[in-house]
Amino acid sequence: MSRSLLDVEGLTKHYPVTEGVLRNEVGRVRAVDGISFTVDRGETLGLVGESGCGKSTAATTTLRLEEPTDGRIVFDGEDVTAYDDAALKRFRRRAQMVFQDPTSSFDPRMSIGESVAEPLRVHGMRDRERRRRIVGDLLDRVGLDADDMDRYPHEFSGGQKQRVALARALVINPDLIVADEPVSALDVSVQADILDLIDDLQSAFGLAIVVISHDLGVVREVCDRVAVMYLGEIVETAPTERLFEDPRHPYTRALLGSTPIADPRRRGQGTRLTGDVPSPSDPPPGCRFHTRCPEVILDEDYDIDDETWRAVLNLRLRVVGEGLDLGAARRYAATGDEAGPEAVDPAAVKAAIREEFGVPAELADRAAESALSTALDRVLDGDHDGAAERLADAFPTVCRRERPGLVPSDTDLSATEWAAITELRAWVATLADASEEAVLDRLRDRCAEETDREGELDRLAVRAAFRLPEPLSDSDAERTVGAVVDSLLTGRADDAAAELYGTFGSLRESACHLDD
Amino acid sequence: MGGKPDTFESVDWTETGGRLSTLSRRDRGALLAGLALVAAFCYDFVVVAADQPTITFPVEWNVTQLDWLFVTTLLALLFYVVVPLYGNRRLTAYYWREFRKNRMAVLSLFYLVAVFLIGTIGPIFLEQPGLALERAYQPPAYLSVDSTVPVNCIGEVVNGQCQGTMEHPLGTTGDGKDILVLIVYGMQVSMKVGLISTLLVVTIGTAVGTVAAYGGGLVDEVLMRYVDIQLVFPAFFLYLLLTYLFGGSLFMFIIIFGLTGWGSIARLVRSEALQRAEEAYVTAARGSGAGTLYVIRRHLVPNVSNSVITAATLLIPGFILFEASLSFLSLGDPTVPSWGQVIANGRSDLSTAWWVSTFPGVFLFTTILAFNFMGDALRDALDPRQER
Repeated sequence: MSRSLLDVEGLTKHYPVTEGVLRNEVGRVRAVDGISFTVDRGETLGLVGESGCGKSTAATTTLRLEEPTDGRIVFDGEDVTAYDDAALKRFRRRAQMVFQDPTSSFDPRMSIGESVAEPLRVHGMRDRERRRRIVGDLLDRVGLDADDMDRYPHEFSGGQKQRVALARALVINPDLIVADEPVSALDVSVQADILDLIDDLQSAFGLAIVVISHDLGVVREVCDRVAVMYLGEIVETAPTERLFEDPRHPYTRALLGSTPIADPRRRGQGTRLTGDVPSPSDPPPGCRFHTRCPEVILDEDYDIDDETWRAVLNLRLRVVGEGLDLGAARRYAATGDEAGPEAVDPAAVKAAIREEFGVPAELADRAAESALSTALDRVLDGDHDGAAERLADAFPTVCRRERPGLVPSDTDLSATEWAAITELRAWVATLADASEEAVLDRLRDRCAEETDREGELDRLAVRAAFRLPEPLSDSDAERTVGAVVDSLLTGRADDAAAELYGTFGSLRESACHLDD
Repeated sequence: MGGKPDTFESVDWTETGGRLSTLSRRDRGALLAGLALVAAFCYDFVVVAADQPTITFPVEWNVTQLDWLFVTTLLALLFYVVVPLYGNRRLTAYYWREFRKNRMAVLSLFYLVAVFLIGTIGPIFLEQPGLALERAYQPPAYLSVDSTVPVNCIGEVVNGQCQGTMEHPLGTTGDGKDILVLIVYGMQVSMKVGLISTLLVVTIGTAVGTVAAYGGGLVDEVLMRYVDIQLVFPAFFLYLLLTYLFGGSLFMFIIIFGLTGWGSIARLVRSEALQRAEEAYVTAARGSGAGTLYVIRRHLVPNVSNSVITAATLLIPGFILFEASLSFLSLGDPTVPSWGQVIANGRSDLSTAWWVSTFPGVFLFTTILAFNFMGDALRDALDPRQER
């Protein structure tokens, strides 16, 4: 089976921010903003990122425990987002979730046996004795005792409860398990046991697992592939070893740098992240990471080092954003000066501002220095807009202007081409088991607006409907897509799916202007 | 299964997958008992004439509407309090250990069990006392009163003092009714009032509260705004009006206050259920494919039951006291010998026959006190925040 078990494409979850009695929408929290990933059978995908980057929302939305705002979730050739209640219940039997907090994941009023048997009951197994036999056997296999069945959650330790949680997820023999921070509430010594158990269960039952974690150590231990999330977006996906050996995205590098490495030769390589994670209700324009990125691209060719450039950029972002706190700068400049904050020398205020952001007293590059100096003068005159404009003119960056899309690392594809290909892939995946006529019908529906006057369905129409330019920037990709479109036009969606997943399945991706 | 070992991989999910039944064995038992009760009620209502006793063996008993409600309440208590406590012996033992720490509460519990048993069984064997003027104002046993007080002293008269006898251990009223028997009947009235109204309040309140919390959105909004309206609804005036129109009746009292008094319980349950609904086990149940009804019935209701039980033990004395107050003001059911009524009857004789009002008063006082003690102890024992 060449098709991925799970193909998530453009998944989006926005929470509306409402105000007043009428619940007017005044904003949106973009918890998950268009993420795409695939999980194969028997594969473990890690989803990592800082707290609040939308990992957990991604998990619950993928399982449709929360309704996605947009996007497509293809599970074993079926579109989960289109499911009705009955189909959703069948899907629930095949995709289960394990939660972070082992204490809150069990009803204190139910014995462990009842909790583990609950999915069996829900899915219509009425024979109580049979349920008990299955649960007893399963508890044995996750390293507990069948006699523990009648005990209550509070009688177990956190690690034991997480074993029970795995048993509950396994009991209806699912194909996919999404584990949301499965070990972060546990002691380090117990973590390893649970991770081993997850590994064992996966190899024994060929499960596809999505592990969500903020802990890179955990991810490195159990995952085959890793997707790194930042502020509701995936910024990089790669096979685990390659991600750790050769991180492409600056955020991944920063994340790796923040974990201590027991290797003296690699000491000091870590880059530190400055500033806070921006709010998902008001994400920065362009690349979402540019407000904290240590490697922001400077378009102009100035003779300043990375650190200084970062400092200047921080200053610029502040001026553009909330504005500088002039009063504080004046007071700081006036310390030890009898004249007081109001009468302090403007040069001293400018120096104080530079000091606050770690910008040198004078930039090495003349042009850059003159721009910065003019901008600071305007700030002191109260002309914040003018200052912002001057800084934006003098220090343009593609990172703020354009939003980078996820692109496969080893191809020449552009982000839009790649987005079109993943969309085509997810669409084809839902048709893989359909008959030739059905495939052609669906294709005709999809391409209805692009077909020529005679209603003839041809290669051009398909490519236009899926926004696939001809030819694509990458010759290998072009060959595959060409073959896929031909297969589709003859109604052979399974060939098309095999081709797409064979060439484009689990490629290494990254979303950064540095790759261009 | 063809002798295959039962493991989770061996389950053929195409052969199962029927509809989920949210009813447990206990629910089915309760349902059966309830159906039997409905059948019996229909028999009484349709077949047996209104003035004929429903059963003649072992005792003659004409089951009234109120009695039917009371039997229903007792069945509900049996299936949803006694059976779970018995089925869950280890948890019960834990609760008992916690409860036992409060000695007054244990004493209260025994007292209330005694009141409950005597009040439920006693009236079956004791005849309701009738008018017997020749026995009016007899003093309690071992006590005496000036022989001019009773019309006709049953005991001996020593030094112009009428001595009480064991025939009427707590004396008699101005109508010659035995006070002990009246107190036993009063126990039954109090238990009926307290238990039936509370059961109504708790059932409706829990259902509304959990559905509002879990349903959320419009359901929540509609239900809770209705509760707001109901909380300002003057049930007391409705009762007065109906009493004025049809005469006081205990059945009416229970129905009116039972059906309008659940607002605060619904609010309590809702706030508690809102917290519970956020727990991962509810998400886990939903993630397994469980529907709304299943989650409410299997997870939310059991987990709010502690607060509900505690609140209920404090609601019961409220209802009892309220009924007594109304009876005292002659707004109660004149045919039912409730404690409040006996107290009211004796208040004009306090200077001569103090026992008429005093004994029922003492029982009313101690019963209310006992419920309050027990409620406090239950709150400590069942407090879910202290659950290990």
